[in-house]
Amino acid sequence: MTPAEAFGQYLELYKAAYTAKDGILSRLNASCAAALPGAIESYSTESTDIRETRTPALFAPDYGVNAGRIEMPADPAKSFRCGVPKLNSLLAIVSYDIFHATDTMTRGAVAGLTYESLRTLKDAEADDAEAILMKSIDTSRPDVLVNGLLLQDGIFIHTSAGTIVEKALQIVNIDAASVPMLSPRRIVIHAEADSHVKILLCDHSQNEDIENLNSQVVQIVAERGSKVELYDIEETNASTRRNCTIYADISDRASIVLNGSFLRGGITRNEYVVNLKGKQAEAHLSGLGICTDSQILDNRVTLTHSGTDGHSSQLFKNALFDSAKASFGGKIIVTEGAERTDAVQTNRNLLASPDARMHTSPQLEIYCDDVKCGHGAATGQLDEQALFYMQTRGIPREEAVRMLTQAFMVDVVDNISFEVLRQRLHILVEKRLNGTSGSCDTCATACHPQSPEQL
Amino acid sequence: MSEFLLKVNNLRAGIDGKEILRGVNLEIRPGEVHAIMGPNGSGKSTLSGVLAGDPRFTVTEGSAELHGIDLLDLSPEDRSHEGLFLSFQYPVEIPGVTMVNFMRAAVNAKRKYFGEPPMSAADFLKMMRQKRAIVELDNKLASRSVNEGFSGGEKKRNEIFQMAVLEPKLSILDETDSGLDIDALRIVAGGVNKLRNESNATIVITHYQRLLDYIKPDYVHILYKGRIVHSGGPELALELEEKGYDWIKQETDQQ
Repeated sequence: MTPAEAFGQYLELYKAAYTAKDGILSRLNASCAAALPGAIESYSTESTDIRETRTPALFAPDYGVNAGRIEMPADPAKSFRCGVPKLNSLLAIVSYDIFHATDTMTRGAVAGLTYESLRTLKDAEADDAEAILMKSIDTSRPDVLVNGLLLQDGIFIHTSAGTIVEKALQIVNIDAASVPMLSPRRIVIHAEADSHVKILLCDHSQNEDIENLNSQVVQIVAERGSKVELYDIEETNASTRRNCTIYADISDRASIVLNGSFLRGGITRNEYVVNLKGKQAEAHLSGLGICTDSQILDNRVTLTHSGTDGHSSQLFKNALFDSAKASFGGKIIVTEGAERTDAVQTNRNLLASPDARMHTSPQLEIYCDDVKCGHGAATGQLDEQALFYMQTRGIPREEAVRMLTQAFMVDVVDNISFEVLRQRLHILVEKRLNGTSGSCDTCATACHPQSPEQL
Repeated sequence: MSEFLLKVNNLRAGIDGKEILRGVNLEIRPGEVHAIMGPNGSGKSTLSGVLAGDPRFTVTEGSAELHGIDLLDLSPEDRSHEGLFLSFQYPVEIPGVTMVNFMRAAVNAKRKYFGEPPMSAADFLKMMRQKRAIVELDNKLASRSVNEGFSGGEKKRNEIFQMAVLEPKLSILDETDSGLDIDALRIVAGGVNKLRNESNATIVITHYQRLLDYIKPDYVHILYKGRIVHSGGPELALELEEKGYDWIKQETDQQ
């Protein structure tokens, strides 16, 4: 299928089924509709790309879209229990692409925090959200345009100047459709000066047999001195396709943390586009992937330092079993004038099977002199001597493999400053390597819900 | 039940098609300490590796029985459960796996093998404390990664500590004296002696007589070109110290 067919089908769908003309989302849809044909035209096949996935292939199946916005009668908040106990978060559920606030959000309402659906925003906040949304019209990215084209809901998180949100904002994405569906999801995060917010995204899928595509775009604007932390856990299933792009613009002295734990999924494609525009801006990206069977995981980072005295770090690790495939493409660009930039990038991969495959491509483009930039990429196997040593102490080989794989990943988890999540992730990683579902014993219903009426 | 704890018969083994052990015979009874000495490249570490189940080596002929059980048929972990312990010449560093998790996995795997429930956390920690004392090992090591950043002496003490926890029937100490200063050697040897009893046995593999001043062997064997070419009492080690290996080499090569 050509890119024109793969992406173009959604343009037809939009023209036929999207009738609303008012509101910020309708205007975004229309703008994306206008930009998409050109983007498809100029779409390159990414021939030099190391990735295992291509966006046209991800969008090619004839996915349905919930154009009529059929509500799920069951309250998903009731059928979901969090896999991170004691989190005490401000919880929102996105079921398919429909945002549901939960009573934790009103109960725990925080002064200076807006945390609501893009559909219900008014006045200045609607204008603010719209301005950010429109920045995502990226003609080099037909997949991002399709997301904007079909978007009917989304989440707006705004912290006013100086607001420190103590509790984490947790957003649980659930796929529960009974036919193949594309879920366009959007999170717009605007942290004003010196505010601090942390967000936990959890992706779950309920139906093992139904192929779904999660199209997600996250846009982060971190103003002067603010701090935004975004933790992303994917625990879906083999029939789930995830195509996620995270944009972040970071101003003077602002910092962001982007951490992804890709524990279970089918095909996962993540794109990070990070711009350190201000002086002393900071970005810390990390990710771990555990892939089994024929799972595919692509992580791509394009991180640009254009402000002076910026600091960035990247730590991505993957453990690949069976015939899993993964890639890491990490590009650091230091533009002219971004003096005293300090950037480091690390990618380490473990191939635990002869059929597993890893591609890694670290790239540095530096256009200025006074810069410290380091990168390292290594792909290897488990240390046979260590395995034998453990076996001589009576530890069965299988368990030794698990312990060594966990040890290999431990620093990605240890780097998480969000303590409750860090502890939980240690357990989730261990369970994943044991072959059990991470959330099943604390989450009574996430995988076996009181089924919301099916689409 | 065999009267022998270990019975090795005509054991031949090699690596990458190259034969290293060319018919080793060895019989060890409970309560005994056997020293195996020999020049570099004679096959000492291969013998310990083959007995412990190092997958790099291929056994081509012969047998090895641990209290009557065919050792060569077992996985390395099952050999450990059945009572074999190898103290490594170069203990492996395992970054990211803490000593406490490592030992808990080892202890509970053995209990599982014998159909026992996992040890309670309190009992486990109490046992760790007791066993650490045997080799004067700092309790701070428990939270550190296995052997990572340990000094040479700490690594060897850590080996004997693991031996104390696992209570093997047969321990093979592969050049435990290498890289040790006199104080560490005394502590390590003291630990081994404390763990000796009439139902277990020890094989001490060493280049030097020095270790045998601390761990007194009942028998000394000389391994050369993959065979045990000479066996005797403790006096054989002294003779070697005095005369070197040349006379053994000559004697063997002439035959």
